Amino acid sequence: MKRRGRGIACMWYPIGFTVSANPSAAVVKVNEDGTATLLTGTVETGQGSLTILAQIVAEELGIATDDVHVVSADTDTTPMDTGAIASRTTYVTGNAARLAAEKAKKILFEVAAPLLGVKPEHLEVGDHKIRIKGFPQRSLHIGDVAERARGVNGDPPIGSASFNPATAALDAETGQGKPFATYVYATQIAEVEVDDETGEVEVLRIAASHDCGTPINPMLVEGQVEGGISMGVGFALEEEILFDATGRQINPNLTNYIMPTSLDMPKVEVDIVDSYDPTGPFGAKGVGEPTCVPTAAAILNAIHDAVGVRVTSLPATAEKVYAALKAKRAQEGKRLGAGA
Amino acid sequence: MATVTLTLNGDVRTASVPPETTLLRLLREEFGLTGSKLGCDVGDCGACTVIVDGKSVNSCLMLAVQADGRDVVTIEGLATMSRLHPLQQLFEDKGSLQCGFCGPGVIMSAKALLDENPDPSEQEIRDALAGNLCRCTGYSKMIEAIQAVARDGRGEPAKSAV
Ligand code: FES
Ligand code: FES
Repeated sequence: MKRRGRGIACMWYPIGFTVSANPSAAVVKVNEDGTATLLTGTVETGQGSLTILAQIVAEELGIATDDVHVVSADTDTTPMDTGAIASRTTYVTGNAARLAAEKAKKILFEVAAPLLGVKPEHLEVGDHKIRIKGFPQRSLHIGDVAERARGVNGDPPIGSASFNPATAALDAETGQGKPFATYVYATQIAEVEVDDETGEVEVLRIAASHDCGTPINPMLVEGQVEGGISMGVGFALEEEILFDATGRQINPNLTNYIMPTSLDMPKVEVDIVDSYDPTGPFGAKGVGEPTCVPTAAAILNAIHDAVGVRVTSLPATAEKVYAALKAKRAQEGKRLGAGA
Repeated sequence: MATVTLTLNGDVRTASVPPETTLLRLLREEFGLTGSKLGCDVGDCGACTVIVDGKSVNSCLMLAVQADGRDVVTIEGLATMSRLHPLQQLFEDKGSLQCGFCGPGVIMSAKALLDENPDPSEQEIRDALAGNLCRCTGYSKMIEAIQAVARDGRGEPAKSAV
């Protein structure tokens, strides 16, 4: 008989390295046509980091995302980045990019302030313009200011910055310290159907609620969560590297190393929790790795809810679930026998 | 050597290849069409999917000579200079791909499905993509994009891309 169950799991996850330095650096230059160029060492692998970095620079400079040219991952030209790892790019590289853009913007404000007859601190950016706060009609086009900064003031609007998350080493005696600058949190709920005659598990639905600070690009956040959950489903039920006695992998291919297909993946509902981290770029933290952390735990809790067995090693294959069911029945049989 | 003549993305092309050459290698190495990917070379991953006479096929499992006289469409045959194919456009709008390695194969499987069944259910879409492994996305946004293309085909306004 097929039995349904639901399970829940929560997690927290740190952004960046544990205590040790993991800086990112960035260069932003504002061009005379009102576009900007960002140099970053980070690597795009499809997660959308470069889009998010362009959005951050665009927001800081008041221009469109499409007007930010991103040059990335070239040791000839781009500054150092610790890497697209540790779920750190939006937070660490994003902070570096924002700070670099802010420095370029400062130069533009110095140039624009006397032209607009105010102090630099009375200026803001928006809509491709540098304008007076409260008097947006008094403004200059950002490209014209960039041109003047270079050609008249002799101070081209270029900013460079680096960012290293603020941590403090753990005290060896008390264990106290600050190993990470920030953390993200999530809860996932899985609904499964377990066949109590075969041990087969089908995941019917997963609801995932994730805090990543400000979601700078909600569509990309959803993509990360959905992808992470597919890895979590594989981790929970299918994926396993098998070795023979000599240590040779016996399933080095996709025929025998089973991973989720479109038929194995349930409907995933993603809920992005509204939050703001004042230490992140525009309140953002990160979202990469944390997405697959609670999935397997939620699924195994759901299996327990459905058929009352705890599987304690992954993946929870049909064989393992079936063996646990059989052991449970034998146990119950014994207890019944003892009672009689 | 064996001579193969086929219609490739609308053009008649001929090549002379060793008889054991797969259709995938013919496409990639003889014709330089590297959109179809070599993921596993044994039919497990679907990254090499192309359309042969209207059916989606793992081109790593088909010999080049078996394509002789047939009509083959690859990912390169979809876009024009000025316009992406609706599937490509919706995959882009909805962020359906991440690393993209599975993408050409997924899009060709989706095209073969929609050519045959312009109004598929979600389950039919999942069935059609079952041979295309994706490590990055969990498939959700691909399915949404394919549904949106189907909706457009029925003349209904697509939900605006997020
Ligand atoms: S390369 Fe053909 S199925 Fe993997
Ligand atoms: S997008 Fe990376 S494998 Fe599908």
